[in-house]
Amino acid sequence: MPGEGHNVTGVGLGLRWEFLEEVLDGPPLDLAFWEVCPENSMHRGGYYPHALARIAERYPVFTHGLTLSIGASDPAPLDYLTELRDETRRLKTPWHSDHLCFGNAGPRMLHELLPLKQSTANARRAAERVRRAQDVLGLPMLVENITWYAHPGRREIPEAEFITEVVERADAGLLLDVNNVWVNAQNHGFDPQAFILGLPLERVRQIHVAGHTRTASGLILDTHGAAVVDPVIELLEWTLERTGPMPVLLERDHDVPELAELLAEVHRLREAYDRALARREAPLARSA
Amino acid sequence: MPEALEIAFAELALGPELSPDDPVAVRAWLDQSGVDREDAQAIVDAGVDRLFVYRTLIRTTLREAVECAIPRTAHRLGAVFDEYFARYLREVGPRSRFLRDVTTELLDFCAPLWAADRRVPPWAMDLARHEAVQVVVASELAGPGNANRQPLELELPVRFVEAVRLMRYDHAVHRLSDALQDRTPPVTEPTRLLVYRSPEHDVRYLELTPLAAAILERLLAGAPLGAAVVEACRAAGTPLGESVRSGTATLLADLAERGALLGPKLQEG
Repeated sequence: MPGEGHNVTGVGLGLRWEFLEEVLDGPPLDLAFWEVCPENSMHRGGYYPHALARIAERYPVFTHGLTLSIGASDPAPLDYLTELRDETRRLKTPWHSDHLCFGNAGPRMLHELLPLKQSTANARRAAERVRRAQDVLGLPMLVENITWYAHPGRREIPEAEFITEVVERADAGLLLDVNNVWVNAQNHGFDPQAFILGLPLERVRQIHVAGHTRTASGLILDTHGAAVVDPVIELLEWTLERTGPMPVLLERDHDVPELAELLAEVHRLREAYDRALARREAPLARSA
Repeated sequence: MPEALEIAFAELALGPELSPDDPVAVRAWLDQSGVDREDAQAIVDAGVDRLFVYRTLIRTTLREAVECAIPRTAHRLGAVFDEYFARYLREVGPRSRFLRDVTTELLDFCAPLWAADRRVPPWAMDLARHEAVQVVVASELAGPGNANRQPLELELPVRFVEAVRLMRYDHAVHRLSDALQDRTPPVTEPTRLLVYRSPEHDVRYLELTPLAAAILERLLAGAPLGAAVVEACRAAGTPLGESVRSGTATLLADLAERGALLGPKLQEG
């Protein structure tokens, strides 16, 4: 199965400029891993890649990209993929993840995770792109479910089926963003647990959680700019009970608080993580 | 070739503002993007308001990236800057997969247009380039910059760190305050700055005399040291005397001390 073989489980944190020096200069932190966006360090020199190399010497690092544009009609350029490959090797990540979306229209880069029309044809094309990326990177890919606010056109297959088709055809792992499921469930009115049960849980290799923002119209935006809310933590716990131990990432990209506050949130997630695994093991213990 | 739905998203985000409440405009946007009839109808039936959220998200991301790189230019130009930012998105749009490149793309688009627009102060592009070069040099992809510790030779070119730019401005924008609210115009004064990344990864600025800039410009272009000095003196109408020789030696020694100059460029093989 893609992405098997690494031994990192537990809760990690997205690395941010705001506390980079604190991490570099401080004592070892009780974190399972750091996740980094390789677009911030690839194709560049200077302080940041130098700092990341130092982080990678001390902690496991996972790369999580934004601009592979897996579902776009134009494939990602080979030079971009080879630079990405070099960066993933430099950081020794066990896999690379990116989003099931598109982010460009031909040469115009939109720098946003845009929803694909949920169709079999798009799933097949995205799967082919994931396979190509895996070939060039020489690494397993994890594909992440996104938050989407409106579906572009006729939906031909349900989202869970769309995601499943992509990861199974590509033989890729699934990065399950529990917050994205919860936000979509609120915005579009469906049961998040039923949605998760429709996914190939045996392919989930990593989980993301984050905070979000509710607009005046009631629409919830996946901003990564607030603490994770209780219902998302409950959904995380419920999901971990079904998937078993794995890396769980706390994402925080906007209104980034002090590192200490984020570490407290990591601690809270770790409590949920431990509760889920205890419940998962309890029936086994009883039957032993 | 981008597909119709991709074009529709790009036009929605980067093109002229549409009102979701204007059914004629919405239909025209979908038709002009080439979206097929059934998809277009599904989009309209679902209500386009939520699709329009993407315009805000995309423009906010791009705008924040630009304002982070050139905040004083954006604040000083105000509405005129907003106008050109919108025009850049509409007519060109971002091309790089790296968000940090958007500012350079924007300024390349604006340079000829600002020069012809009387509403844009003549110093604006100088200030914008000066602000932007900080990110460019800080992030410049560069190989290992190890000094080779050998003396420079007149017959050989000189090797600099790769993260280096020689900037020329018509205004002393480097002396302006960092305060966003400051509106003091810069002094009109030909300015030459060597901008380089130090071994500690800091971006450093060194103000140059006209002759020093002329010499360094030739050295950065790969000319041998002796020829660079001779040519620069000839171009400047400056006799190549002892003061030039000693001044050049001092400048190059200073640059080596700063870690910007790495030594002679030795022939390969």
